[in-house]
Amino acid sequence: MNPHAAPPVSLSSLVRSLWGNRQLIVQMTKREVLGRYQGSAMGLAWSFFNPVFMLLVYTFVFSEIFKFRWSEDGGDASRAQFALVLFVGMIVLSLFSEVINRAPSLVVANVNYVKKVVFPIELLPVVAMGTSLFHSLISLGVLLAAFGLFSGYLNWTAVFIPLVLLPLVILTLGLAWILASLGVFLRDVGHTVAIVTTVLLFLSPVFYPLAAVPERFRPVIMANPLTFIIEQGREVLIWGHLPNYLGLGIYTLLATAVAWVGYAWFQKTRQGFADVI
Amino acid sequence: MSSNEQAPVCQPLDAPSSRAAPQDRLELAIRVSNLSKCYQIYNSPRDRLKQFVVPNLRRAVSALTGSSPGARHPVPAYYREFWALNDVSFEVRKGETLGIIGRNGSGKSTLLQLICGTLHPTGGSVETRGRVAALLELGSGFNPEFTGRENVYMNASVLGLRKEQIDERFDDIASFSDIGQFIDQPVKTYSSGMYVRLAFAVIAHVDADILVVDEALAVGDAVFMQKCMRFIRSFQQNGTLIFVSHDIASVQNLCKSGIWLNHGRVAQAGTAKSVCEAYLQHTQQEIYGEEAKLTSLAPAAVGNEARADESASDTGGSPTIDYGAVATVSDNIETSRGWKSGRADIVSVALARLSPGPEGSFEGGERVRMTVRAKAHEPLQKPILGFLVRDRLGQDLFGENTLPFTSRVSTPIEAGSTFEGIFEFRLPALPNGQYAVMASVANGDLFEHVQHHWMHDALIINVSSSRIRFGLVGIAFERVELRKIG
Repeated sequence: MNPHAAPPVSLSSLVRSLWGNRQLIVQMTKREVLGRYQGSAMGLAWSFFNPVFMLLVYTFVFSEIFKFRWSEDGGDASRAQFALVLFVGMIVLSLFSEVINRAPSLVVANVNYVKKVVFPIELLPVVAMGTSLFHSLISLGVLLAAFGLFSGYLNWTAVFIPLVLLPLVILTLGLAWILASLGVFLRDVGHTVAIVTTVLLFLSPVFYPLAAVPERFRPVIMANPLTFIIEQGREVLIWGHLPNYLGLGIYTLLATAVAWVGYAWFQKTRQGFADVI
Repeated sequence: MSSNEQAPVCQPLDAPSSRAAPQDRLELAIRVSNLSKCYQIYNSPRDRLKQFVVPNLRRAVSALTGSSPGARHPVPAYYREFWALNDVSFEVRKGETLGIIGRNGSGKSTLLQLICGTLHPTGGSVETRGRVAALLELGSGFNPEFTGRENVYMNASVLGLRKEQIDERFDDIASFSDIGQFIDQPVKTYSSGMYVRLAFAVIAHVDADILVVDEALAVGDAVFMQKCMRFIRSFQQNGTLIFVSHDIASVQNLCKSGIWLNHGRVAQAGTAKSVCEAYLQHTQQEIYGEEAKLTSLAPAAVGNEARADESASDTGGSPTIDYGAVATVSDNIETSRGWKSGRADIVSVALARLSPGPEGSFEGGERVRMTVRAKAHEPLQKPILGFLVRDRLGQDLFGENTLPFTSRVSTPIEAGSTFEGIFEFRLPALPNGQYAVMASVANGDLFEHVQHHWMHDALIINVSSSRIRFGLVGIAFERVELRKIG
């Protein structure tokens, strides 16, 4: 890598960087996952207990206190079902928001990598995504275990979940690159993002089914990029339906475009990072 | 080490030469052309935002209205400019060692960061060939939360090593850094010495083509410094080294050529020795301020004055007189370079033999007398005369001044009179080569003094013995033998 050339912005350069630095990505992700609970007695077990306790609380509050049912026909829906359906939404949302919340501070928090060495800092959002994916994976495991426990069976369609999450991962990366770059120049971005992700929690169909949204507001909710992924996640994980291949395909194409724009923006602006931080 | 007869590597790029030949190009390791770095200094983050938006808006507006931007309304700037580096050009060939000196804030670190690629130039360009490894200040890209081991892996893989290669070299790196058990502790718990040791150990094991080392090394202890110097010297055999310091002695010691940066510009480029001498004069002037005005001495100027007063020698400025003996001394006072304030002049410097033996030739071990004679043009309350013998790299070997005497016996000198300092000692044996005797006259005490006349090479000592000697200075061994003791 020639450090004096202008950083490449093409998609192929992105793929090359990801592949060429795969060891570094894996290592840094591992380090970050282990590092989060470093010094705590339970260590890595926390990343398992976290989703378990969350699920227990959801089940108690929504099934025992609110006595919510997901669909109106009720029927065979178990009392735990609401919590499980909600949990799918939470997993998708936190996969997204964990990365987005951290993105504005990623570069600023790694001054050494910017100023002291020629580091492939375009990987920082990727590592954040890797960490987030790991936690989502644990949560998915907890979800499937709970689902099996309550229903006595597992949907084979659950194998499609990577396919459902992939477009979201690409989209999130693209947004993370933009936010990581903006966060260097404008410290206000971090605060804005924190508000947006909180709002998204309620503007995504996490606590309610899309069908429960009044007709006139539905386009608003549909415009939320998380809605489609959450709905698709529920299709394959809870309802045992096949995913919407066409929708996912179009989503992936759009997400790739966003990722490219984000990556190009990051690469274009990174030369100024060292001057500012 | 290389000899200083070779041409300096740092030439202005516009110098007419046959450098365009492709073979020659391949030999270049670093090429810096008209490099400039400007920092925009904002009073508040809001100004930064304004700068980001307003000029772009203006441009958009004027593009729409069809007028050229800034024609009627100048585009406002919300920042002040600070040029950390301004139009710097030089080239370093493969295998060369370049020293960069300059005071704090002269742009040394900025230049290094630009060479390493962590900063991007405002103007001009940098080209480097091969893997660049740098040890810049403290830190060197370590993550303080990670353990030493993790940082070694991260750092080495950033520098382009594969995991298997790092696995292979890890033990070497760990033993080079010599931090023992701490390798598995977070580096935030390290002392600054450990930090640098580990950082240096990594860059010493990544097969760098270009090594950039700055002041950071000074943090290590003597044992580690030795290790580093050994590594650097062996690295110099094939690799390109950039060494940054304000320690003149180590720059002269390590580097063949040098660059002196002053306020972001190249004040002088050439051999390390000449650059260091110019830098030294400059810093002396800055220390004295208005108290004394130093003027550089072209050789002819000194020569005339020396002749007018009293010349100690008729050998003149001939570079080498070989008596066929061990060491010869030639008077170089007429061609010596240096500077002076005009308040006092050195008129002669002489080395004479006290022990019996042939006059004008030395071999080391004999008793000699060094006489430094000077003339005061203005009254000197506390005059100091001194000399210092330096090797061809400019390393100080030995020397003394008259302070041990004058601090006991106050000896003020009135204007117009001549005075001399006498130093009698046993001359050490010197290895083959050329030596320069620096002589100076100053006024003041150990802590506060002003140099009035400084001659870089008042005497030239040529040593041409066939005996092999070790070290910088030989001593008279009284007995060397090897015995079997059981």
